[in-house]
Amino acid sequence: MSTPARRRLMRDFKRLQEDPPTGVSGAPTDNNIMIWNAVIFGPHDTPFEDGTFKLTIEFTEEYPNKPPTVRFVSKMFHPNVYADGGICLDILQNRWSPTYDVSAILTSIQSLLSDPNPNSPANSMAAQLYKENRREYEKRVKACVEQSFVD
Amino acid sequence: MSDSTETDENNKYNPGENQDDLILQQHRKIEKEISESIALIGNKEALSSLESEYSDDDIYRQKVQDLSNKYKSVRRTRPDGNCFFRAFAFAYLESLLDNQQEFAKFKDTKNCSIRGGVNLGFPQFTLEDFHDTFMEVVNVVGNGPSACDELYKLFNNSGYSDYVVVYLRLIASGQLQKEAEFYQNFIEGCRSVLDFCHQEVEPMFKESDHIHIIALSSALNVGVRVRYMDRGDSSEVIAHDFPEGSKVAVHLLYRPGHYDILYPSTS
Repeated sequence: MSTPARRRLMRDFKRLQEDPPTGVSGAPTDNNIMIWNAVIFGPHDTPFEDGTFKLTIEFTEEYPNKPPTVRFVSKMFHPNVYADGGICLDILQNRWSPTYDVSAILTSIQSLLSDPNPNSPANSMAAQLYKENRREYEKRVKACVEQSFVD
Repeated sequence: MSDSTETDENNKYNPGENQDDLILQQHRKIEKEISESIALIGNKEALSSLESEYSDDDIYRQKVQDLSNKYKSVRRTRPDGNCFFRAFAFAYLESLLDNQQEFAKFKDTKNCSIRGGVNLGFPQFTLEDFHDTFMEVVNVVGNGPSACDELYKLFNNSGYSDYVVVYLRLIASGQLQKEAEFYQNFIEGCRSVLDFCHQEVEPMFKESDHIHIIALSSALNVGVRVRYMDRGDSSEVIAHDFPEGSKVAVHLLYRPGHYDILYPSTS
């Protein structure tokens, strides 16, 4: 059955294939267009470099009026990522605009990897290390990068 | 209730838990309750239906009395934060059903497009999607007065109705950004116009203030009269026209936090 959310997700998918942003990819799961798998490659010149981080994106019929739920499946060590993989990012919460599509969501998360916001921490340990002990922060992140090859 | 202890347990702050998710869940629950009980756009009701809401409130009763001298009916909208945009869209398009000349003008004058939308940073791809759906709804008006039922149905179908709201929000945002220098004066705190648009105008379910109304009515060149029904001393229900001095096409009733549609007695 075609609903506005599903129609829009088909368009999002088409756009993602025709005009793929660098360093991210995503596609609906085989039997359900409301659940997508995505991958974000760790941005260059950041401790996340070379990592391949998997995410799931779950949409509701209210998309694009409401944001989807995005979670990292890969283990992450990042000031704005919760232990369960949930992401604390304004555009996925109170600054969501229906003009964002999957491509915009993934590129925003990608830039969150480069520029964490330690002032609104979801992982207080990561936030603290990011601010006070960058070397230890990077070591923990690198461990996640290595873990991401195995997953 | 026997499960109250369990609820207490659940409410205990747990730093490991995703608090954003919990807050979102609660919001969703409240929204669901509202959406199950109030239509996006209601039926036209006699103005007297407001009286029953205020039977034991003298100030409001007087004001309803005053309103009933000027308006004959009211149409309620769902209080979901989109009420201004939805009420405006429905009331204006409904008024065009009987005024095909004005309708042709509205459609033709590029009124319906967001001038320089892409330049303002709106992604073209998604903008088109909203524009197309908006025009689909607008075109129904071309069928004349008999299309009233169809318009009513579309506005109660969230797939269309919400897209119309999104599109009007983008038009308002575009207007604010285009005249940013002017509108900056009306934004409290140190937020820029762009931040304000991203936080208060473009997101769905964000309530509207004067500034939203001024921006939308100026962008579309459609006059709006808002009747403010509050606890103020005057027994009259005060009116504000947006933009000032314009020919009024849409009448709205404002009660703190919410807009409904009004229909004047003489028309």
